[in-house]
Amino acid sequence: MSKDKNFVNKEYNITKRDFRKVFWRSFTLLGSYNFERMEALGFDYSMMPVLKKIYGDDKQRLAEALRRHMEAFNMTVAPSTFVMGISIAMEEKYEKDPSFDVNSINAIKLALMGPLSGIGDTFFWGIFRILAAAIGVSFALKGNIIAPFVFLIMFNVPHFLVRYFGLFIGYRNGNDFLTKIEQSGQMSLFTYCAGIVGITAVGCMIATQIAVSSPLQFTISGNKIVIQEYLDQIMPQLLPLIATLVVYYCLKKKVKVGYIMAGIIIGFICGVLGILA
Amino acid sequence: MILQAMLIGCIAALTALEGDWLGESKFREPLVTGFLVGLVLGDVKQGVIIGGQLQLIWMGATGIGLSAQLDIGTGGTIGTAFALMTGKGAEVAITFGLPVSILMQFMNTVKMTFFSGMMHKADQYAEAVNIRGMTWIHYSCGLITFVLYFFPTFFTIYLGSGAVEAIVKQLPEWVTQGLTAVSSLLPALGFAMLMQILMETRLIPFFIVGFVAAAYTGLDMMAITLIAVAIAWVMYMLKADSVKKEEEDLL
Repeated sequence: MSKDKNFVNKEYNITKRDFRKVFWRSFTLLGSYNFERMEALGFDYSMMPVLKKIYGDDKQRLAEALRRHMEAFNMTVAPSTFVMGISIAMEEKYEKDPSFDVNSINAIKLALMGPLSGIGDTFFWGIFRILAAAIGVSFALKGNIIAPFVFLIMFNVPHFLVRYFGLFIGYRNGNDFLTKIEQSGQMSLFTYCAGIVGITAVGCMIATQIAVSSPLQFTISGNKIVIQEYLDQIMPQLLPLIATLVVYYCLKKKVKVGYIMAGIIIGFICGVLGILA
Repeated sequence: MILQAMLIGCIAALTALEGDWLGESKFREPLVTGFLVGLVLGDVKQGVIIGGQLQLIWMGATGIGLSAQLDIGTGGTIGTAFALMTGKGAEVAITFGLPVSILMQFMNTVKMTFFSGMMHKADQYAEAVNIRGMTWIHYSCGLITFVLYFFPTFFTIYLGSGAVEAIVKQLPEWVTQGLTAVSSLLPALGFAMLMQILMETRLIPFFIVGFVAAAYTGLDMMAITLIAVAIAWVMYMLKADSVKKEEEDLL
């Protein structure tokens, strides 16, 4: 591998600029998302600048490569450049050595889709998005207009870093990197620690961001009884906690969407009757 | 009004293209659309507040699983627009936003089926090394998406706002009460969905810490997040050694 600053691979005349093109093009991965091939065309489009350099004037092999990456592909978008990096490294190997098992390129892509999407979903949907949105919402509810900017920056800094460096890490260390990290248990420890932050934030948001309370009150022999006061004595924010845990239990039991709709209607009726507000 | 409706149509199209062309960089979330709609309708502050409330309700609306059935981009945009136009709060936003989000997601399904057919054309172009042709197909899908999101939103806002205003004005008190209860309960659904992604038995203690810290002490989100980072850090250091040992054993 070349040490030259501007070349990623001198042999194929692949520059950092080409890699940056792949990086920017990867943002359109979902651009032609469809049920049959999912992100395939987006993946192919992202790879084009580098594929052209690798196969040069060999139109037939370039056509093969373009066709190869039209096979179905689907994963969380942020770490997808990692897979592109690995694919580029394998395409180079295949160009040099036509006896290289070309099917392994798509096999690797398929094999990485699942685990990388799992990790990606946990981090990007589960953790970065929640934390960024939680902080953003706490600004927004006070009417502070920096809220959307805080949210976008908090989410996109890790997003851009993973997307950019993922491409290079995938290219240089490819498979070794993933297998090492998975075998050593580093990844699961890291996911666990990120999960601690995520779930603590969820606990905090349940206590602060769900406004449900009970306006119910009775007068029994001249004494006014306000239900919410009793609930607060048991535990502050008891209703939000119960509501969330009940819904969570239902989701975990995989109840039908209809039951959730029914729950919403019950909530509506409770509102009408003045039990909840 | 026609200009405002067009701009709001563009915001809805942006939320769809956010996935298509901007790599899911989260422009579709209500926090952002609330701000943009507020900007168009001349009340940024109220837009951001309603955006924040909708964000809570749709906190669990991720692109995965059950919640992928909701298009929060268009739903949030139209919902916030109607809430601002009628001078009401998040309960109006959710009442109109929710059905829109379900309808638009249905349309999205039709769109993705249609795009499947275009892939065979892309295959032919790939075999002929027609890179320009492939690029064109890739981007024309985005252009179609723009049209499919811009026009319905534009017409909904332009033609619907009068009707919506009339409906909202005539809502009897009991309906408003019911809607308020629903909109204050819905965030529970959002958080439950989040828990579905994150929850493991060994994380329950930290869930309790987060809830109790907020409910009893009144510490704010930022403070509790930082405490959580500190706890996670400690847990990492405690466990890193044993992981390293395992690693050495493997080698």
